[in-house]
Amino acid sequence: MYKQSIILFGIVIPVIIAVLVIGACAFFRNKITTSFATKAQYYTGYEKSRMGALEIEAQLSRQRESSEQWKSLVGQETFSLVTTNLRAIAEDLPPKEFQQTAFERLGQSGGFGGISAQKSSGLKFNFRGTYRTVQRAFLELETQMPNLQLQELRIDPSANSDSSLLNFQVVYTAWEN
Amino acid sequence: MSNLVHPASLNAFQQFRQACSLLSDTSRATLPAWYQEALDLDFQVHIRSDGTSVRAFFYDRAKKEWSDAPQISEATLTEQEAASTYAQQLLKHVRSLKGTSLGVVLHIADEFATAEMKPELNNPAALQDLRETAFDMPGEILDDSSVPPDQGSWRVLPYPASGSEVIGTTITVSRRLGPFVAVLRSLGDSENFPMVTHSLSAPLVAVMGLHSVVRKDRGKPAVGILQYPWFTVLAFFNEHHDLRLVRTLQHRGIRRPSNFRHALATTNASLEFVEPDLYVVPLGAEVDQKVPEDLERSFPGSLVETVAFPVPGPVPAWAPEAILSLEPMPEETEGLSHTFGVLRTEKWFLQDFLPAVKETIELFPTKNEMRLLRFLKLGRVAVFALAVLGLAWLAFGVFTVIRRPEWAFNESESKAVQQRLVNLTQERQRVDHWNNLLEDRSKAWSTMEAFARLFPAKSGLLLKTFSHTVSPDSAPGQTKVGFVKEWTISGMARDEALEYLNALNTREGISGHFSEISKVTGNLAFDPAPTTRTIVVNVKTQENSTFKQMPLEEIVDSDDATYPFTFNLTITQRFESTDPLAISASKAP
Repeated sequence: MYKQSIILFGIVIPVIIAVLVIGACAFFRNKITTSFATKAQYYTGYEKSRMGALEIEAQLSRQRESSEQWKSLVGQETFSLVTTNLRAIAEDLPPKEFQQTAFERLGQSGGFGGISAQKSSGLKFNFRGTYRTVQRAFLELETQMPNLQLQELRIDPSANSDSSLLNFQVVYTAWEN
Repeated sequence: MSNLVHPASLNAFQQFRQACSLLSDTSRATLPAWYQEALDLDFQVHIRSDGTSVRAFFYDRAKKEWSDAPQISEATLTEQEAASTYAQQLLKHVRSLKGTSLGVVLHIADEFATAEMKPELNNPAALQDLRETAFDMPGEILDDSSVPPDQGSWRVLPYPASGSEVIGTTITVSRRLGPFVAVLRSLGDSENFPMVTHSLSAPLVAVMGLHSVVRKDRGKPAVGILQYPWFTVLAFFNEHHDLRLVRTLQHRGIRRPSNFRHALATTNASLEFVEPDLYVVPLGAEVDQKVPEDLERSFPGSLVETVAFPVPGPVPAWAPEAILSLEPMPEETEGLSHTFGVLRTEKWFLQDFLPAVKETIELFPTKNEMRLLRFLKLGRVAVFALAVLGLAWLAFGVFTVIRRPEWAFNESESKAVQQRLVNLTQERQRVDHWNNLLEDRSKAWSTMEAFARLFPAKSGLLLKTFSHTVSPDSAPGQTKVGFVKEWTISGMARDEALEYLNALNTREGISGHFSEISKVTGNLAFDPAPTTRTIVVNVKTQENSTFKQMPLEEIVDSDDATYPFTFNLTITQRFESTDPLAISASKAP
């Protein structure tokens, strides 16, 4: 008369309980493993982001000074800045060898400015002077204002054939912020 | 164990708990004696009661020694307190011998009665069923309905002889000694000491033992006359020594049955036995000794023989049932009759007349249930171990995981770092954007340096015009846009300059010049090496229509008429959109 109860409580229920325990263990372990995998994924992403950030930070730290300088440069009003710079450059050059004959602000930026969404403006200068002096002036100007991109340069001899002065016409695209 | 409840009154879990308590609190799982028969145990007490005396003998099975058991009286058999005291004595005695179990075999020699079975049950094939029915529901097989079946204990005895009119008869004894054996069993249960009882009908055991005294070479029927103090049993065997009939004749206060000779004669006649051999077996201390003489006189044609069974020391010759009940089966069974062969093997003569009631037996798990319970206990340990292993596996997994830095990681940190990375990336994009736009791709000073180095002084060339334009490619939708730089130079040339112009008018010539300019100025826009750039040069020379031949000393370098040729030089440098100097088409991020 005990057989059924012995089988039921002696093995069936313990086995069911054990299966439930083992199943619960497997479930929780799987859940923990899954949770860990998610955390590990986040962690890996975090480490990757952190390393990437450090790398970028290192790169930027080397460029930050010039970057700030450029930021300041492109943030200023180009026309007046060029005028100021040219005036300063002209002071260091022989007046007979470098003369600014015209300076025109082009209304609509063409050239490089036309194909980039970045704000820009066109500048047109006319100079008269000797070749090397004007080249030196350009070197100074373009060093101080790297946002100037040469669009056009024309060099013509002076109408007076005896003069060593040349006529220069230059058009720049100036990048602005 | 007195608080045991019948399993039918318990639910399944209570049944299981009761079985477990029996497993842990008793020796039922470890001592096989609990489920053995009394006659198979190592220590046995055989008690014989014939109405005039009660004798008890102790048997050590291992040593095959018989000895006197503690003294017993009729009162011991009938009074519960005396029975309990006697049981304690037996228990103490066996424990002193370091016995672990005791079989108590009760030989009931003070009563013996037969009753006919219903004629319709005369089916030899149904004997086993009849045996069980007699045990549980004797009223269903008894022919005489006036006999109260509940007052006695009934057992079937087959008549295996061929020609028998009936397949057997029923033997009954009263339940008078039932309480005595119940006390013994109860003490065994309470003391956790197997005390197994077996109540035998002494005459049946004696009939079983007749095979050793009956002469088998006579070829004649035989009658075993078993003389007990209160009755005489007649066992009739045919010439093949198969039992045909058992009769009992009560003495009714005298030393022999009053109708003994007549009953013997008429039964012989009814069985058609002619002058059967008569074997007289005295089975009481004071039975009538003159019966054999009377039989010789009354049945002169028959062999009359008084027989006695060989018995060891303390057992008297008139009480051989204890020895006979333990007598092993003869090794050679070939010559044995069915009665002394199969009936003996199937223990028809050794049926227990006073077993424990079914309800008492059912209190305890069976041998197989105890074995199953014990086995499953080990199984549960294994299952528990598996569950513990599972938990350990989980704990190990958790422990392994939580030790890792990833587990303690806070996702908000990830978001913060990601945001920082996004900000830095944006900043880098901004820097890259301005890096791109501010590249030295087109500068006036380097262009003039290139121009000056392209046409050195005293090279026989007079330059008239110089034009340099830079125009971007039209490529809508692209992130970067290529561009084209073009130099257009015109002037005058002497004869010696033509070779130089021709040298320039080759890819190698112009590339060499550009490479040199790139190195000198540091302006990478002049570097012709990248495959994303191409340079095309074209020089056209023509005769100068205004040329005037004049002496060398009159030639002035600035005079156009002194140059025999004019030239037009066009250099086109193309930068593809994949070039590092290609212009970013987007706005600063």
